[in-house]
Amino acid sequence: MSGRMPRLLIVDDERHVRESLSHWFTEDGYDTVTAGSGREALDLLGRRDVDVIVSDIKMPGMDGLELQHRVLEKNPHAAIILVTAYASVATAVQALKEGAYDYMVKPFDPEQLSQVVARAYEKVKLSTENETLRERLSAAEPPFVTGTSRAMAKVMELVDMVAPTDTSVLIRGESGTGKELIARLIHLRSQRAYGPVVAVNCGALSESLLESELFGHEKGAFTGASSRRTGKIELADGGTLFLDEVGEVTPKVQVELLRALEERTITRVGGNQEIPVNFRLVTATNRDLEAAIRDGSFRDDLFFRINVFTITIPPLRERREDILPIAEHFLRRFGAAMGRPIRGFSAEARDLILDYEWPGNVRELANAVERALVVCRGEEVGAEHLPIAAHAHAADPGLAGDYSIAALEAQHIEKVLRVHDYNVTQAAKALGIDRVTLYNKMRKYGIERP
Amino acid sequence: MELVPGGAVPPAVVRELRRDLALCLDRRVAIADEVLALDDAFSPERQQYRADMILAALLEGLDGGDERRRMAVVAEDLFLPVFTHIFSSAQFRGLAAVVSTHRLTPTWLDQPADPRVLRLRLLKEALHELGHTLGLVHCKVPWCVMSPSLDPDHVDLKDPAFCAPCAEAGGIPRDRTFLFL
Repeated sequence: MSGRMPRLLIVDDERHVRESLSHWFTEDGYDTVTAGSGREALDLLGRRDVDVIVSDIKMPGMDGLELQHRVLEKNPHAAIILVTAYASVATAVQALKEGAYDYMVKPFDPEQLSQVVARAYEKVKLSTENETLRERLSAAEPPFVTGTSRAMAKVMELVDMVAPTDTSVLIRGESGTGKELIARLIHLRSQRAYGPVVAVNCGALSESLLESELFGHEKGAFTGASSRRTGKIELADGGTLFLDEVGEVTPKVQVELLRALEERTITRVGGNQEIPVNFRLVTATNRDLEAAIRDGSFRDDLFFRINVFTITIPPLRERREDILPIAEHFLRRFGAAMGRPIRGFSAEARDLILDYEWPGNVRELANAVERALVVCRGEEVGAEHLPIAAHAHAADPGLAGDYSIAALEAQHIEKVLRVHDYNVTQAAKALGIDRVTLYNKMRKYGIERP
Repeated sequence: MELVPGGAVPPAVVRELRRDLALCLDRRVAIADEVLALDDAFSPERQQYRADMILAALLEGLDGGDERRRMAVVAEDLFLPVFTHIFSSAQFRGLAAVVSTHRLTPTWLDQPADPRVLRLRLLKEALHELGHTLGLVHCKVPWCVMSPSLDPDHVDLKDPAFCAPCAEAGGIPRDRTFLFL
C-alpha cells in the first residue's frame, strides 16, 4: 500500500459537490474517483480498489447507508465517511453504529474534512498492514519443529483452536518438550501477533526479583532501585505474557498476579498508581499444580484463572515416530549453521536415537545432534558421535524425565513398599521413618497399596 | 502569467503581488486591464463567493490556444459548495487560479494590522495555487510552499519557496524565492 497515492471514492448525486471534493483531494495528493449514485459506486468498486469512501447519505435510489452496508459486507476494513446536509443525531448514530468511520455535515470546514479523511486512510493502511502481517505470520513455518505424530497433530489443533481467542492458556509438559515454543506459536497465530510477546521464567528468580520483574518498581522502592523500571506485564501491553514455570511462583506474587488478571491493572513495587494493562496470559509448568493446590502451595483461584484452556505436550518417548524426523531437522539446521555438508545419520545412529528414552525431550535431542555435529568429521553422523551412546540403555525409564528429589523419593518408597509386600510398618522401619510419615508421603505421591 | 484584480481588492495589493511573484519566478507577470466582476459568483444565502465560478469566469477570458495562466486576486470571502470557506483555489494542471486576501488579513483573525504579513501570506498562497496549476500536489515538507495550509498560521509557517522535488516537478526556479527568507 505504501508508495502509491491513497485512493478516494466520492459518491454524491450533486455534480458540483463531487467536483469540489475531487478537486480538493486531488490537490491533497489523493487519487480520486467519483460516482453519482450508490449503484455507480458499487460498479466502480467491482473494478478497482479504493481506500476511503466519502459518500452522501441522501441520494436517489440506493442511499449512503445502504451503500455502506453493501461495501462493508465485502470489505470490513473499508473506511466510509458519510456526509449529509442535514445534521441529525439519529442518523449520525445509525451511521456510526453500522460501521461508518465518521460522519460529517455539509458544508465542511476544509481543515476538518482533510484531517478526517487522512485519519481514515491511516486506519485503512494500518488494518491492511496488520492483515498482511497476520497472513505472513500464519503462513510462516513455525520457527521450530513440532513433529508430525498424531499426538502432536492434536496439540497443533488445540493451538489453532485457542490462538485467535484471548483465552488464558496453560501449557503442561515435561522439561524440554518445547512449552515456550508452543506459547510463542499461540502468540504468532493470535490477534495480538503484531504486539510483543514477553517471557518470564518464574522459577529462575527469587520472590522479590520476580515481583519487580513482573510489576516493575519505582525509583527508591527498595535498596538498589536506583531508577524506575517498567515491569514485564506493562511491556506485554497489547501482546502476550508468557510465564514459564508458573508453579514456582510464591504465594505473595500469586496474589498480585491474580489481582492483575482480575482487575487488569497493576501497581509498580513502591508505587501507588494503578496502571491499566492489556495482555493475554500463557503459562507453562511441568509441576503437578493440582497436587500443589492440595498441599497449599498454589492458590486454586489463580489456577482457575490460568487454566482456562490446557495444552499438554506429550514427551518424546510417547511419540516415537517424531524422534527421527526431529533429529534430522536439527541435523539439517545445525549442519547449515556450521557450514557442514552432512548427508544424515548412519543406520546404527538411527537405531540408537530411536532406542533412547530422551528424558530431556526435544531439548536433549537438539543438544545431542549439535554435539554430534561438532565431533563428527565425516559426512555421516555415526552412533559413536552421539553423546547418548554410553548410557543409551542405562537410562531409567521409571524416572520419566523427572529428576527431582521428590521423584526419586517416591520411586524409592514404592520400591521399599514392594519389597515388604506393602506392609507399611515394615517398610517404614526399613526407610527409617515412622508410619504416619510414610502414610503422609504415600498420600503425597499418590502411592496406593495394590 | 497574468494577475486579474477582482471585486474590491486594492490595486496596491495586486501590484505588490506582481512584483513579488516576478522576483520569485524570474518571469514577467502582467496585471490585466479589466477588473473581474464577481456578482455571478455571489451566494446571497452564504454571503460568500463561489471559487469555482470565479475560475470559470477567468477561463472565459482566454482565447483558444492561449496558454497564459490567469490568477484572480480578490478581497472577498471564497467558498466551494461543500466547504465553509477556502483561502484560494486553482484548476489542477490548468490555467486558472484565484487567491483571496479575506481570511489572510491579520485583522480578520484579530491579529495586529501589518501589511507585510498579508503581503507574505498572499505571495505564499499565490505560489501554492500556481503550483497546483502546474500539477503539483500537497507536499509533506513543512516549509515547502506546497504544504497544505488550512489556516493562516499554517501559511505563516511555510516559506515562499518550493522544496527541491516540487521545484523540479513544476519546472520552477528555486534560488530566487529565497530572497524573501
